[in-house]
Amino acid sequence: MKKELVGHSEAAAFIIIMIGAKAFLGYPRIVTEWGLTAGWLVVLLSGLISIVFWLMIVGVLGRFPGKPLSEIAEVTLGPVLGLGINTFVFLYSIFGTSNHLRLFSEAAILTVLTETPVIILALIFVLTAWLAAYYGIEALFRSAYFSFPFLAIGVALVLLVLYPYYDFKMLLPLTGPGVWPVIKSSFWGTSAFGEVIILAYLVRYFSFKPERLKNVGVFSLSFVMMFFIAITGVYLMVLPVPASSETLVPFYQLSRSIFLGHYFQRVEAVFVIFWTFTAFISIAAGILVGAIILQDTFKLPSYRPLLPALCLLTFSLAFTPLDLIQTVKLEGEVRMSYGWIPTFVLPLLIWAAALILRKGENKTNDS
Amino acid sequence: MSFFQQLRKKITNLIVFDEGKEQEGFLLVSEKENGDQERQEGKKSKQKEKKKSNKQGKADKNKQFRVKKEAFKKPVRVSKTPLSLAEQREKNKEKNMEKSMKKEPFFPEKLFVSSSLEVNKGYLEKIYSLPKNKDIILREFYIALHPPLKAFVLFIDGLAEKEIINNSILKPLMVLLDEEAKIEGSEIAEYIKEHLLPGHDVQVLEKYQQILDWVNYGGTAIFIEGCAQCLVVETKGWDKRAVGKPEVEQVIMGPHEAFNETLRSNTGLIRKALRNENLITEMVKVGSRNKIDVAIMYLEDLTNPQLIAEVKRRITSIKTDYVGVSGVLEQFIEDEPFRLSPQILTTERPDRVVSFLVEGHVTVIVDGGPQALIVPATLFSLLHSSEDYYLRMPYGNFLRILRVFALFIAILTPSIYVSIVTFHQEMIPTELLLAIAASRATVPFPTIFEVFAMEFAFELIREAGVRVPGVIGNTIGIVGALILGQAAVQAGIVSPILIIIIAITGLASFAIPNYSISFAFRGRRFIFTILAAFFGFFGISGGLFLFLLSLVNMKSFGVPFLAPISPKTKTGPDVVLRGPVWSMEERVDYLDPLERSRQPNISRGWIKNRRGGRAK
Repeated sequence: MKKELVGHSEAAAFIIIMIGAKAFLGYPRIVTEWGLTAGWLVVLLSGLISIVFWLMIVGVLGRFPGKPLSEIAEVTLGPVLGLGINTFVFLYSIFGTSNHLRLFSEAAILTVLTETPVIILALIFVLTAWLAAYYGIEALFRSAYFSFPFLAIGVALVLLVLYPYYDFKMLLPLTGPGVWPVIKSSFWGTSAFGEVIILAYLVRYFSFKPERLKNVGVFSLSFVMMFFIAITGVYLMVLPVPASSETLVPFYQLSRSIFLGHYFQRVEAVFVIFWTFTAFISIAAGILVGAIILQDTFKLPSYRPLLPALCLLTFSLAFTPLDLIQTVKLEGEVRMSYGWIPTFVLPLLIWAAALILRKGENKTNDS
Repeated sequence: MSFFQQLRKKITNLIVFDEGKEQEGFLLVSEKENGDQERQEGKKSKQKEKKKSNKQGKADKNKQFRVKKEAFKKPVRVSKTPLSLAEQREKNKEKNMEKSMKKEPFFPEKLFVSSSLEVNKGYLEKIYSLPKNKDIILREFYIALHPPLKAFVLFIDGLAEKEIINNSILKPLMVLLDEEAKIEGSEIAEYIKEHLLPGHDVQVLEKYQQILDWVNYGGTAIFIEGCAQCLVVETKGWDKRAVGKPEVEQVIMGPHEAFNETLRSNTGLIRKALRNENLITEMVKVGSRNKIDVAIMYLEDLTNPQLIAEVKRRITSIKTDYVGVSGVLEQFIEDEPFRLSPQILTTERPDRVVSFLVEGHVTVIVDGGPQALIVPATLFSLLHSSEDYYLRMPYGNFLRILRVFALFIAILTPSIYVSIVTFHQEMIPTELLLAIAASRATVPFPTIFEVFAMEFAFELIREAGVRVPGVIGNTIGIVGALILGQAAVQAGIVSPILIIIIAITGLASFAIPNYSISFAFRGRRFIFTILAAFFGFFGISGGLFLFLLSLVNMKSFGVPFLAPISPKTKTGPDVVLRGPVWSMEERVDYLDPLERSRQPNISRGWIKNRRGGRAK
């Protein structure tokens, strides 16, 4: 089978879209709940902490050049513990994807297709994701790269045309609930940036040198951090704190607030194209990454046969929560609060184990 | 001879011919040595062969026995009906048998020229079904030697130039010659070639297949008594269309020459514009029946050898009986036949071909077609027009920006209209919404039906405009677009705003410069409209995602269709917009040409500012 390879630009765009997709769901609302008027500060600190985490993870990867994190876990912790950790990461990945699937489907119903059954929309998402994942990693990364400027322009446009409603006083007090709560929230908030770990699992699909992986991760995190800060900042300035914590789909609410004269108002439907496009990429990518982790864990020759089963699993898990409220709670109270454990803590544990057990220092130890 | 004896003989001969590949009256030789030997025998060999085959048939008793057995398996009943009917039946059977014998396979590719003029004539009569075939001319004459030497010329009326045949072949050989040449055997062909025939391209051939290829392509063959070789003279001279103006890719600035249906004219047009000794024109024959010439052109010192090898590999591997024009060949060599988007660029402009050749592409031209194929093609190359480069950079970029908008309008306008009217009415300002609602009040059909009806009518007008003769075509377009549209609105079948939507969409689709990609986008428009009718903007978004996926997953001769953007590769400032011509210093990376650099960093030697930019 032909080896699929992607470049650093495609990788960066892919990670930015994977992380940034949360902006179209409840992320601005969650950070606003945590940091109140300092929600943007929570994002800034979370992003910076994530960059530090990423640099440490790059250290792990540096000890095992060219190997994905799933393989490093097995080499360092042994086949049993490694298998356990990889399975845990895979389950987390599928859980996250299924949660996003449900949230995006519900968001589509809330905003544009009020009469359509949620199961139909989820089915469309899953079938499209199946096809996209089947096309392969190259096609998905390249699609992300190609669509990235359009999506960025779409988001920037929404934020810019809201300028008549900017009220900088709404960002005060700058520290929100206080310094310590902001720092504590920032630490939890690193979960939002956890998708950067995908780079560590897809190492063998990159055409660029492993040394550039650090730059790709740092650039992606920095870009998406700025993007989140902009959205959260505008969100806080347009919708003050009490109102901002009551919106289920903040970005849609922002686009709905646009009013630039008689002929440029109520254009939220246009921006639906942008965020649903991101949703399509994000869900397909989640399923694909899950399949690749599973392929590496069980040393399978191809990930494609896994896709139907994973799509079915994702679809089933998406409908495990009873309703939208339960899904939103799951996202906010579980995934956003503890997502940093599988994404950042586990790799760092592997790093610590590698240091203690002196694995990966030379080639003999690797084997 | 009784009927049974006649039948037995016929069947025996039939079986022997079939197995021995020999036929009565003709010489079929698989080895050249055999051919040489038999050529010496001339006319007698024919009779000997006949006897030999009969002897061989008799010698093979088992075979004969089998034949006899076959012949008598179903004995012919002696009918008690009147004799005339039985005779009639026998005659019919004999006729059928003769017909079947005539249809026996004949292999000119294994045949060599005989030294006997009669034998050669026999071959050609068989090959060309003479004298039934009326446009094949076989003209016998004597070469004015002492003693006169019998010969004949063979050519196809309508393909060969008669003036050349009269003045440059027959006249020198029949009238102007008065020599006592004592030349025999094969030397005579060489002698005539070197001393008597003034033609610019004369060859001496021995294989029939080569001779037939010449004759079938307008050449004239000269067969001479006692010579086991044949002279072929290049006398192509069929009626052809002159180099005309481009029909599809018209420009205001730039050359107004287009390819025609003659391969050599087309290669000549390219050579005229690209005067470079490294420009290679390789010829490949495709199609077992029409054996059409296919020219593969490239710059040897620039084009990636792997690309050239791949193009040749694909073309030479084609096994089919007929390839008529470039459009058919395109379908044989493209990567993804089931995708909507074309993966090969088709052009009728020699200047466009040259611009791609100097980038490192390969051009394929099929004889008989006025288009050239350029490989590989990317989406961006399909959306460019040659005029983009002939105009100054700002004007060229203006056209390109216009085309990008046209692309999105052509794909998405009807679907956006359907989405807004069906799902997202809140987007429309109140006054406009009321106007639309009022115009739609009299229309009894749902929006999607309206759109499809008008789209279908538009496509019908377009197709009819293309098919009917020129002057009427324009009239049909005007009548269809104006009167039909107006009448449809007045009849309350469609709303007026929809006429505007469809008209804008149609105009936008005509602004796309490539005919094939325009088709692809028009097809997708229908898909997007259906998605919009079911899911509004959500459906359009899903359709765009799948559309993008299919584009990024496509390749043209190994080059990703969205290169150089996705995947990102090195390129000059000429993708969506273009930079100034002096800034296009490097060729595209995805072709991996043998020479990346097109010009030095300072291509304008006259400027004083060495860092480029404005002249001082």
